Amino acid sequence: MIKPGTISTDPPDIRLLLHALADGELDAATALALERRLASDPALAAEYARIVALRTSFQTMPLQQPSPQLLARIEDLAQARTPAATPVRRKEQSFDWRALAASILVTAFLASSATYWATQGPAPQGFASEIAGSHRRSLLASSAVDVASSDRHTVKPWLDARIGVSPPAVDLSADGYALVGGRVEVIDGKPVPALVYQLRKHLITLVAIPQDQAMPRPGAPDLSAGGFPIVQWSDGTFSYWAVSDIGRDELQQFADRFRAATTPAAAPK
Amino acid sequence: MPNTDTPAGRFGEVVLPHLGDALALARWLTGSSDDAEDVVQDACLKAYAGISTYAGGSARAWLLAIVRNCSYSWLARNRPRSLVMAGDLADLDGLAGNEGHDDATPEAALIAKSDAAALAGAISGLPHAFREVVVLRDINGLSYREIATMLCLPIGTVMSRLSRARALLIAELGDVK
Repeated sequence: MIKPGTISTDPPDIRLLLHALADGELDAATALALERRLASDPALAAEYARIVALRTSFQTMPLQQPSPQLLARIEDLAQARTPAATPVRRKEQSFDWRALAASILVTAFLASSATYWATQGPAPQGFASEIAGSHRRSLLASSAVDVASSDRHTVKPWLDARIGVSPPAVDLSADGYALVGGRVEVIDGKPVPALVYQLRKHLITLVAIPQDQAMPRPGAPDLSAGGFPIVQWSDGTFSYWAVSDIGRDELQQFADRFRAATTPAAAPK
Repeated sequence: MPNTDTPAGRFGEVVLPHLGDALALARWLTGSSDDAEDVVQDACLKAYAGISTYAGGSARAWLLAIVRNCSYSWLARNRPRSLVMAGDLADLDGLAGNEGHDDATPEAALIAKSDAAALAGAISGLPHAFREVVVLRDINGLSYREIATMLCLPIGTVMSRLSRARALLIAELGDVK
């Protein structure tokens, strides 16, 4: 491409070489020849100084680091796919008993995991009705909460002490959602934390299920059960299920606020 | 580079160290940090699926090539108007190198002093073909040859686009307000 030791005198070409010199892409002989040119040509030297200045300016620009959530999502993605995604590369062969054995194993694995999923994994609708049921019971009980406190610093440790998990209990009182307290729910046979917020006279139950448990995939956007609308979302750590007797729009608003309040706390910029 | 047996292990070695660079490229190509995360996640899915096709060499260049493809697919789907058509590209290359500086050239000191926000604004204003080259070189730190391979361009075209992109940035940053 560029002959070592000689440089073109063509103005457009020499400009390209100036950039290559600034980028450290020239061999020593060409760089030497170009540096001699620079010494004798002030206009060219000024141009070179501007290029170097621009590169300096780039170095002061902060490089965006991946947020913890993105890192978690990407690490999950690698882990979740490990069993199925093993690449199989093999030389051409007319028949390979190993392939047959492997395919039987893979089929058996897939079939058994499918069976496991079908029998063990809670169906989204069953899950939703359990959550709606828990909300309904809490409305009928003498108290909707096990720990009554509007102070998130009380609710969180209480849940943590009881079941060892505590979702972010954010303060949304400025948005009109007062924290009433928390309780422990048993969903799909496992104890999970639930937060209770109050909007006007209505209670909102927010069940937070740690994501390492078997989880139904997010259901339909207009999920509802037992006459209650349910809004579901997840942040990589918890799968959240909000249920209430308020309208779906209002419940969605609550979900959005909660989401917005938990996101920046997890990723300090 | 130590070889690991599982795809997940390889993924961890090849992809994860370069997420910052992947994000930076996606951010400049899509124009927003939030969209960049989506694009990078998508690119990682593809990288994971194709980890067996990674045959050594620069892991960063390999990942960034995937990120670039994902960015443009994403742009075509979500911001079709922001994409430059192929015909314009040829015109841009024709222009490259013809940039002449008149007497009122900006001072180097002024350019070096320009803050990150001004530089970010200037980069965002570049046409896509120039922006990707200057980002790959000056932010991601790829060599000319790596860029030429990734973009399937002759190295001379990479050099002329880079020169043209920097000339535009210099003119923008050196412009005394």
